Amino acid sequence: MSTKPRPTLVALIVSAITLSACVPVSPWQRGILAKPSMATAPTPMQDTLSEHTHSSREAESASSSASGGGCGCY
Amino acid sequence: MAVIKSNPALQALTLAALALPGLILPAAGAAEDDEVNFQYSHYEEGKRNLYNVLNNKNPIEVESVVGKARVSLSDRIKFAFNYIQDTWSGATPITTAPLAANGNRAIKANTANNETIITGASPYINNARMFLTQKFVPILIYDKTVPGKKLFRTAQPVHVLSMASPETRKQGDFTLGYEWDEAAIKIGGGLSVEHDYESRFGNLSGRLDFNQKRTTLDMGLSYTNSDNSAILDHDAETYITKKAFAQQIEKSGTMQILHGNRQDWATSLGLTQVLNKSALVQTSVAYTRSTGYLENPYKVMTIVFADPATLGTDPDHPNSIVGDVRAFLEQRPNERNQLTVGSRFIQHIAFADAALHLDYRFFHDDWGINAHTFEADWVQAVGPSWTITPKIRYYSQDAADFYHPYLISKQTYAKALADPGTLPANFSSDQRLSAFGALSGGVTINKKLSKAVSIEAGFEYYTHAGALKMGGGGEGSYSDFDYYLANAALNVNLAALNTGGSQSGHSHAHHGKHHGSHGPAGVMFGHMLDQANDVMLGYRYMYSRQAGDTLHGIQAVTDQTIRNNGCLQAFTKHCRVTPTYMDMSMHMLDIMYAPTDWLNLMLMPQFMDMDMDLRLLEGVSYNAFQDHLHGGHRTGGVGDTGMYALFKLFDTGNHHVHATLGLSAPTGDVDIKLRAMHGDDKGLLHYGMQLGSGTWDFKPSLTYTGMLDDWSWGAQFSATNRLESKNDSGYALGDMFQGTAWGNYHLTNWLSASVRGIYTVQGKIDGRFNRVAGVVDNVLVNNVNPGSKANFSSGPMDFGGNYGGRYWDLGLGLNFTVPSGDLKGNSLGVEWLQPIEDDVNGYQLEREGALSATWSVMF
Repeated sequence: MSTKPRPTLVALIVSAITLSACVPVSPWQRGILAKPSMATAPTPMQDTLSEHTHSSREAESASSSASGGGCGCY
Repeated sequence: MAVIKSNPALQALTLAALALPGLILPAAGAAEDDEVNFQYSHYEEGKRNLYNVLNNKNPIEVESVVGKARVSLSDRIKFAFNYIQDTWSGATPITTAPLAANGNRAIKANTANNETIITGASPYINNARMFLTQKFVPILIYDKTVPGKKLFRTAQPVHVLSMASPETRKQGDFTLGYEWDEAAIKIGGGLSVEHDYESRFGNLSGRLDFNQKRTTLDMGLSYTNSDNSAILDHDAETYITKKAFAQQIEKSGTMQILHGNRQDWATSLGLTQVLNKSALVQTSVAYTRSTGYLENPYKVMTIVFADPATLGTDPDHPNSIVGDVRAFLEQRPNERNQLTVGSRFIQHIAFADAALHLDYRFFHDDWGINAHTFEADWVQAVGPSWTITPKIRYYSQDAADFYHPYLISKQTYAKALADPGTLPANFSSDQRLSAFGALSGGVTINKKLSKAVSIEAGFEYYTHAGALKMGGGGEGSYSDFDYYLANAALNVNLAALNTGGSQSGHSHAHHGKHHGSHGPAGVMFGHMLDQANDVMLGYRYMYSRQAGDTLHGIQAVTDQTIRNNGCLQAFTKHCRVTPTYMDMSMHMLDIMYAPTDWLNLMLMPQFMDMDMDLRLLEGVSYNAFQDHLHGGHRTGGVGDTGMYALFKLFDTGNHHVHATLGLSAPTGDVDIKLRAMHGDDKGLLHYGMQLGSGTWDFKPSLTYTGMLDDWSWGAQFSATNRLESKNDSGYALGDMFQGTAWGNYHLTNWLSASVRGIYTVQGKIDGRFNRVAGVVDNVLVNNVNPGSKANFSSGPMDFGGNYGGRYWDLGLGLNFTVPSGDLKGNSLGVEWLQPIEDDVNGYQLEREGALSATWSVMF
């Protein structure tokens, strides 16, 4: 598996960059981060539906976690 | 920490803020309140371009419903359950062929006036005479009737379209999670079942917060095991070369079933980092390994065998090679390793009170595909209750190494069969593996109706084009298509129902009084909301099955009797087939509102699906051109929509009487047709498989309920009267009357058990299917319905006299009501109806039973 070392490396680099870029944010400063619009998935029902549709029409497997989805053979 | 001011008000606010789950966790672990969601969606593709032939086939359409429930079993233990159901139908590419292979052949039909018209296109995946130049370029030969150029050298490919009969997929899955203050773990699993595909999956995921919750690490591991058992298209199967999969094909009766198992392991790692008080970033890496049968069993590869020795053998085309066009089941590698690296940046935009989400994902696999996905969402709050989210997405992928629209092999077909090594090891013309780009955009609109209830609507338009591929070099425009996806959803936050709000106080009070008064789960309109402005939301599922003997009246009959007497309206006066089983499921949403204390209004949308299989009657010999014996028929989609008004007539506390007046609107389809077989149209599908009544129906009922101590009881008379003598397809279902009475005993304050008796009488179907024009033996005839001269292969289910009857049932039920806690007021009910006696009109399958399950919550 020649691809195996790459994810770890990429993750390390990305986390190194992001961690160094961040400023301390105290819990009481997190009002904005707690807004529903700032959630990593602000429209989860919509995301599941469009990911399921995209994955039945594109080569990329949308979800990294097993969530079913059937054959999509049509 | 140095900047904290010692301000008591601030400290109090901080504490209050910490108490809100959304603040304790960063956005990555966003608050997961107890919630129930329902969603309906409709997907529809545009028609594909077939160039020289009229494409009259309906493109792929998918109707889906989703139900989700997430509840806290304790402060730290969360349980979630999801149910998904899709039904799809329509025309989809079975292969791609050179235009010169004439794969989509015009269906020409002779009308009564002896004119020849083109009614559509029919797929031909073999062609023994496709000509090629000496440089192996296909030669398109125009129809003699087209003036001008007769020959044209072109490598132009075209999709060959084939119709798929409606199919339904059902999926249930769950997750169970445990949460610590700074970590969480979840396990989950589920099952997805289609007629030809079954998939079982399990997953394990974990979350770890550190760095004062500014950083969150997510990990996931999942496993999926899927079994294909694809029934090869009975029309196309004899024209497909299946040699490579001979070991995997099972012959079962008249069917050929291709079996294959695949396994997918996926791992993922994600890191979410709060950058500052208004921005965060998420990066993730995922690796998926798939092994086993990774093919799409319904896609074939077109290979043109162009043996140079055939040059000059056709006297009409002495300078051409004679190509032999063949179709092979596609062959993919048995292993696929996939890597995805993604990043998401979320920035709050203060001046607009909006959030900008930017996503990028890179995908790579060892089939040679690299893909890029870019997405931008703008989440805009509008006023206190609206959120509008426009989205735009761009996707681009390379082709798989073994993707080809079609192949040209410079040898004979026989030689290639004898030595498969002369063909590539893998090949596929599935356009999902081609090089293309896709641009899509859409909008989601969410409106909060109250603290607890919100509704959502979404729309997406998607366009797939070879020309949109990043850097060019995509597939030709023949493969372009587009689709739209529209959906509507209802979300109920169960936690918010019970936390404050002006109405919740009194609802709890009357829940105490009326606990368990819903009556058995199978009873509709069994109770009223008794205070003005109360709202109830409910979900109702009903399943029924018919199987076993065929009855005439109350007697089981022999095949001989069915054959001779079951299809008397038919052209041949004989039945050829009879159902082996018929399953029906209904999902209903009950939305009930009390404008005053004596009147309730109710809206009840329905989603249905049906599944029926047939068998040949004894003494009839199978005819592939007549008998639809290839794995049964399925239909599904939106059913009829009920609108009701409930009037309180009498209420002394212990005794209560109410009347219901209702209308059912014909929103369910009644014109679903059978798929054409061997080029012959077959007309409308059995009455019982259509999704609605097709008529406006009047539905009155009168309900009495009583209670004393631990006992409650009730009785109801209800009727359905068709307000029109026939629907758009020419018939009307029979009127119905039902009487029922029940007793219910409260075993505890949260559990009661019920016993019920039901008598139902329903009339036969009036009228019959309208004539539907179609092609039979290349002649356009005006009636291809079952039982007609053109389509006499039919069974009892195709005749209106074989519907309705008189039925006795016994119902046994349980009702649960959550007495306290966050989920207080939620009710669940189940009831099994056991048939006691069937006295059917005509010839019908006996009933095996019916299950009703309900959930409701009042607020």
